[in-house]
Amino acid sequence: MIHAVMIFNTAGAVRLTKFYTPIPHSLRTSLPKLIFKLVSTRASGLCNFLDAPELQLNWAKNGVEGDETRVVYRCYATLYFVFVVSSEESELGILDLVQVFVESLDRAFENVCELDLVFHFDEVHYILSEVIQGGLVLETNVEEIAVAAKEASKARKTSYASAHPLSLGSVGGVGKNVESLAKNMNLSWFTSGLRR
Amino acid sequence: MSWASFHVVEVMSSPYFHLKTGGYLAAAQSFDENTDVLMLTTNLLKKDMASGSHPEISAALNCLAHILTPELARDLALDIIPMLNHSRPLIRKRAILVLYKMMLFDLDALDRGFNKLREKLEDPDVGVVSAAVNALCELSRREPERCLVLAPYLFNLLTNSSNNWMLIKIVKLFGALTPYEPRLVRKLQPPLTDLISTTPAISLLYECVRTCIIGGMFQGSSGSSLARTCVQKLAAFLGNPDQNLKYIALLALVKIVPSHPHLVAEHQRLVLASVSDNDMSIRMRALDLLSAMVNRQTLQHVVQHLLSHLSPESPSGTNQSAAQALSQAISGVAVSVMPPSLSAPYRLDVARRILDMCSRDHYDNVEDFEWYLSVLVDLSYVARVPIGEEIRDQFLDVVTRVRSVRLFAVRLMAKFLHDGAPDADNEDCVEVYWAAAWTCGEYCSNLLDPLETASKLLGEESTRLPPTILAIYMSSAMKIIGHWASNLTVEWDEIQLVDTQQNVNRAILQVSGFADSPHLEVQERAAAFGQLLQFMKADLAAYGQGRASTASSEGPNFPKSLQLIHPLSSTFELNVVAPEAQDKVRFPEGLDLDTDIVPVAVRAPPELTGNAPTKVKRRKKKDPMTHLVGPFFWSGSLW
Repeated sequence: MIHAVMIFNTAGAVRLTKFYTPIPHSLRTSLPKLIFKLVSTRASGLCNFLDAPELQLNWAKNGVEGDETRVVYRCYATLYFVFVVSSEESELGILDLVQVFVESLDRAFENVCELDLVFHFDEVHYILSEVIQGGLVLETNVEEIAVAAKEASKARKTSYASAHPLSLGSVGGVGKNVESLAKNMNLSWFTSGLRR
Repeated sequence: MSWASFHVVEVMSSPYFHLKTGGYLAAAQSFDENTDVLMLTTNLLKKDMASGSHPEISAALNCLAHILTPELARDLALDIIPMLNHSRPLIRKRAILVLYKMMLFDLDALDRGFNKLREKLEDPDVGVVSAAVNALCELSRREPERCLVLAPYLFNLLTNSSNNWMLIKIVKLFGALTPYEPRLVRKLQPPLTDLISTTPAISLLYECVRTCIIGGMFQGSSGSSLARTCVQKLAAFLGNPDQNLKYIALLALVKIVPSHPHLVAEHQRLVLASVSDNDMSIRMRALDLLSAMVNRQTLQHVVQHLLSHLSPESPSGTNQSAAQALSQAISGVAVSVMPPSLSAPYRLDVARRILDMCSRDHYDNVEDFEWYLSVLVDLSYVARVPIGEEIRDQFLDVVTRVRSVRLFAVRLMAKFLHDGAPDADNEDCVEVYWAAAWTCGEYCSNLLDPLETASKLLGEESTRLPPTILAIYMSSAMKIIGHWASNLTVEWDEIQLVDTQQNVNRAILQVSGFADSPHLEVQERAAAFGQLLQFMKADLAAYGQGRASTASSEGPNFPKSLQLIHPLSSTFELNVVAPEAQDKVRFPEGLDLDTDIVPVAVRAPPELTGNAPTKVKRRKKKDPMTHLVGPFFWSGSLW
């Protein structure tokens, strides 16, 4: 199973952390920092597996014998995507999974960049929950993930619209900007005369 | 975020989906098993799972997978079962994965759920089957015997499916099952051999090879050719420029070394090259493999290679060439890449591995102990990590247990001491000096020049050492001088008196320097030694005078005090004793170790006077708040 998913940028700022195995609170901040320190010193041609004497992953053991935890990472532009997995996951398979996740983000955000992760982190979480649930891989096909993510996003938008009938934009508008919304909205209630 | 848990639950129970998912996300991120409000979520989740809206069910199942506890598992187990037969495949997949998590917490759920999982293996949707296989793969790690029942279904899937991800999981599953059912091996060998030779997907190929190794599939006639094929494929990965393939090849080769060392030994050159790789991860794995692969013939070569690894390279980045600096400036990369061999934890790891490789199985691999002792000394010079204690322990272990090497050891250690006390940057291995001093003291009969060694031990440079080491320096110096003195008596000649007196005076001078040391142990030993030397000095003086005055032929014709110190440390030689030796001592007749010497009843009873307050057992009262709050929330809606 997958123990944790982390995303941080090349300066070390953490953009997303998701722990599927209970982790002691003291490690919640120190683990991403440690992994960043080890990963940032690695040149680009090296392998995608992080294995260093300083890395202590005892919290992830879960009492299962012979369980070796691996840290798999991939660098995309300014972001590092780090997956901490147990030995039941295939190492090369997880590399593919990271690629699938990034592609799903790309589909949902239309040319995703780091700002999208900063301002729409909840969307990122929802997309991640379509790929991995509770530490186990749910879906590996980018099409299916995109469909499911879009459906959930639509449900959220309609719910927001029904709660805020006067709203200008949708909650956490995925990839849309306000100008295009302004073109679409109906201003007749305004132009048809103000009421006191 | 525990202060906000109640508010999170409030938001979770909102009727609006966009708020509800926000609440679920907050719950997944912040709840753990100690969160008090978890019991409030039970009904909420039940309601959401029964709702008609698919996104709501999805979100509820996802959140449940995160916040699951044994209580929640017990309460919601029955509600999950209908979800497994939901019309949408996505819901079925999510339900399967949640069910797996419940099975870990609750034994009832385990029994009931297992049958359901078996049904799901025959689901029409490929994704659902894949999820079921995933859950079973995880389950097989904890309950392999139970999963054996499903072997026929899984075998069917293995031979018919083409979904790579699922095939990988099935292959891994079988790897966990074969140790418990040897007959599976024969059935699995053909399809796995087939997959290994034909599949284009490297991930699947690797998993098949790994399963063959871990599952012990190399039995029978086809087994050995299968082993050879597997090792060949792994060696091909190892020679591949892709670093990832090198890494996983090393991972798998480690597993096959115990059973087929000869196959791996063919590729030793490749492995040694990987140890010097730029990539720290590959180095670590290569070291793992190397220490597993080592045997009597290869040990010396491997250890020399590792030692040369540790020898100092250019210690700082300022020594990098102008070309390197220029290229870094151009590419704008400000990364200060430290050569991996210089990081302290790595050096410690390498040093430990060297020690471990040599001392494994009671030094089974070491043929030449003299070589090993010189390796230990080299390691203490080269390592520059705090491994002195372990080196010291190894050294003493070898010296005390291997008699034949003692002569060499003492000569080596004397030279080590003469080469000087540690300087400022090599203070990591001071404990080795402890070993040096003790060896010279204990086996001082092997010393070439005892006086020289003793005066080195007591010399000026020693004052910089830590007190524990100084203490052993004192006692070793005493043993050496005692031995030297008693040796003089073998062929005592009157001419030697003056020299002897001079040496004793010099020793007294050196020792008195330590007698006012601030460390108590050193002070005590130095003072005791000093007094013995004073006694010797007085006796020598008296002897000199006595000789001149009387010419008695009674008694020994050398100063008796020369024999003073030596018996203190040399009367009995302590032999090494095996741990089972005590059990072999025969029990004497009539000895009873089980009855109490002082009968129990005679002992004073524990205090129970009338004045002492007695503890009243208080039953823990249930929190009254839950009774008040309960009815409010049981209906599932707020306000």
